[in-house]
Amino acid sequence: MTIKTSNEPFLTRLKESEQDTFMQKAVAKAQDAQWDKRTAARNELGHWEQWRDLGEQIRQHVIRYLPDYLEEFADNIEKHGGHVFFAKTDKEASDFIKHLAEEKQVHHVVKSKSMVTTEIDLDKELLKIPGLSLLETDLAEFILQEDDWDEPTHIVFPTLHKNRDQIRTIFQKLGYTGDNDPQHLARFARTYLRASFLKADMGITGCNFGVADSGLINLVTNEGNADLVMAIPKTQVVVMGMERLVPSLKEAEVLDNMLARSAVGQKLTSYCSFSTRQVSGESDGPEDFYVVIVDNGRSNALGTPFEPVLQCIRCGACLNVCPVYRHIGGHGYGSIYPGPIGAVLSPVLRGYEQFGDLPFASSLCGACTETCPVRIPLHELLIKHRQVMMNKLHTDKSFNNVIMKGIGVATSTPAMFRMALTADHVAMAPLTKHAPITVENEYPEGIIRKAPSMAKGWTDVRDLPEMPKHSENFRSWFKQHHKEQEAKQDD
Amino acid sequence: MTEREAFLEGLAKKAGRPRHQLKDHPLVPVNDLPETTLADKSPAELAALAKTNSEAVHVTYQTTTTKDLPAALDAFIQAKAAKTLLLPTTDAYQRFGLEDWRQQVQPTPTYWVPGAGREANLKAAASAEAAIGFADFLLAESGTITAATTPGQGRAFHFLPTHYLAVIPASRIVARSRQAADWYDREIKAGRLQTSNINFITGPSNSGDIEMVLIVGVHGPLDMTYLVVEDQ
Repeated sequence: MTIKTSNEPFLTRLKESEQDTFMQKAVAKAQDAQWDKRTAARNELGHWEQWRDLGEQIRQHVIRYLPDYLEEFADNIEKHGGHVFFAKTDKEASDFIKHLAEEKQVHHVVKSKSMVTTEIDLDKELLKIPGLSLLETDLAEFILQEDDWDEPTHIVFPTLHKNRDQIRTIFQKLGYTGDNDPQHLARFARTYLRASFLKADMGITGCNFGVADSGLINLVTNEGNADLVMAIPKTQVVVMGMERLVPSLKEAEVLDNMLARSAVGQKLTSYCSFSTRQVSGESDGPEDFYVVIVDNGRSNALGTPFEPVLQCIRCGACLNVCPVYRHIGGHGYGSIYPGPIGAVLSPVLRGYEQFGDLPFASSLCGACTETCPVRIPLHELLIKHRQVMMNKLHTDKSFNNVIMKGIGVATSTPAMFRMALTADHVAMAPLTKHAPITVENEYPEGIIRKAPSMAKGWTDVRDLPEMPKHSENFRSWFKQHHKEQEAKQDD
Repeated sequence: MTEREAFLEGLAKKAGRPRHQLKDHPLVPVNDLPETTLADKSPAELAALAKTNSEAVHVTYQTTTTKDLPAALDAFIQAKAAKTLLLPTTDAYQRFGLEDWRQQVQPTPTYWVPGAGREANLKAAASAEAAIGFADFLLAESGTITAATTPGQGRAFHFLPTHYLAVIPASRIVARSRQAADWYDREIKAGRLQTSNINFITGPSNSGDIEMVLIVGVHGPLDMTYLVVEDQ
């Protein structure tokens, strides 16, 4: 799998997502549960807006001086006997790791969850080596692998779209004979994967943050699989996006706290580790230690209005508040990076030809910007993408311009605006349906189910209540209310 | 020009900013929240907070004294019905008055032995039903223990055994991760601590990957006990 997860057109993917009612319910449940946990964790910490100031400052500073920090980081890795490879493209990165595995005659690879290794299609490249076995050890990634490399649907909860029965069926292919209890399923995975850990000769991890002034790799997980990947095999390969650095342990500590609270509503994840190559006297940990630093399109953002997207710490909070993600889930985006961050990042990495639809998969409500722990102005960047695309593709704007000009004239001419307020109720009457209030209908006074022409797109997915009668609209109410207030003051 | 230089030059060119400016523009944090958060808490308040937050992450939190420590450790082993026990090689036994205890403890412990090699130590850890380790700090805010890898207490020591107990001196309960990070940073940079790995461990391993149902005990230990020694 590379960044692009589907060759289907955007509208086809949306139709498919619409059919997946389990996914929609699972996403809604996850978003609601995460809302409560995230808010509680941030409130308990206190001064959340000031923490965001600090998080933003750390990330902006790193991006501003990125070549300097990368140099310092690489020097410190090498000082401890590790090796650093700078990969401009996905191919360079996966080729390097594949050659390394061949050279070391690796037989068993264990991996911990890493978006960037999915991005560079590493698993499939390594599996081309005859006799090499590879296992994803994060529970969700393991499930996806065993389900014929199914696509992830969320950057923190990749199997959100799967229910326990589907997972049971997947595990039955591996010899599982139990019921669909999640605890039993997880215990089976633990036993199955433990054997693989113990015979692994290469471990591959991602990297939450690279600590520039020490060369330490900071990883956070809840399952503990990443720590076993870093402890048992003799060779470890770390694959990281080039922007994932912090100046020192102090800043890693700040961002780990913000990441855990934003991603899963925890104060810290169960495991938060800082590691490098084995030092003298230690018996586990990697004897051979490689760090692959990947650009793969990230540098397209440098020096452009899209530079703030590199601040991302991959918490997924923007997915968890997004109304569009709630409806279409991760697969609808067709990118391994879904949701608002994916809609901004994917076109930066791979261009508008592949991902030009995604900046339009947004209501621009700004909830993503509001929740981002490092203050990425996500909805503004989505608008910027639209602007750049319009200019770059020389899109004909005349129709939009005429419409907007018409709306401008109508709303700024008092006589026309008054006329519209008088006529709207009457004009909509033929389309209006009346039904009692139910969970499906919040507007017993009248609702338009199917609007004609361009407005149809709205009524397909949203409510369009009937406009109030002239005597009941806001202006009439305000006029009456104002009169009553004046009368009260006179009394 | 080396491959690395070409990569970094390319980034600087795209960003439109010259390289090697960082030394004149170090990061000066906009606030001191990491240091000041919970800084007003007394040791007793931090201990109470540590207990609450540890229990919130499914940890069995216990306190004892140096005198009663051997009995508390025996009770843990018995409660877990452990037939195999893993212990670290460390001078902590002396500090905690556990030299006699470790000669007599049942089951006869297996040790993580410096110099015994990768395979022997991993095998010992993988077959251990219980492990008793020594932590460097306990973070009150999050119920987190921290431990730097040493030749006698390796990385997998904390992950492969089924049941895990960490012994922590009460004097090492600190407010938050900032205090621990500062200490490790200082010790490593001064050359007083030589380690390849620092673990911050907050309760037993867990996952919500199956229908968001919390499962406690995935790859790491199935349960965790923190034993705080109050007079240490």
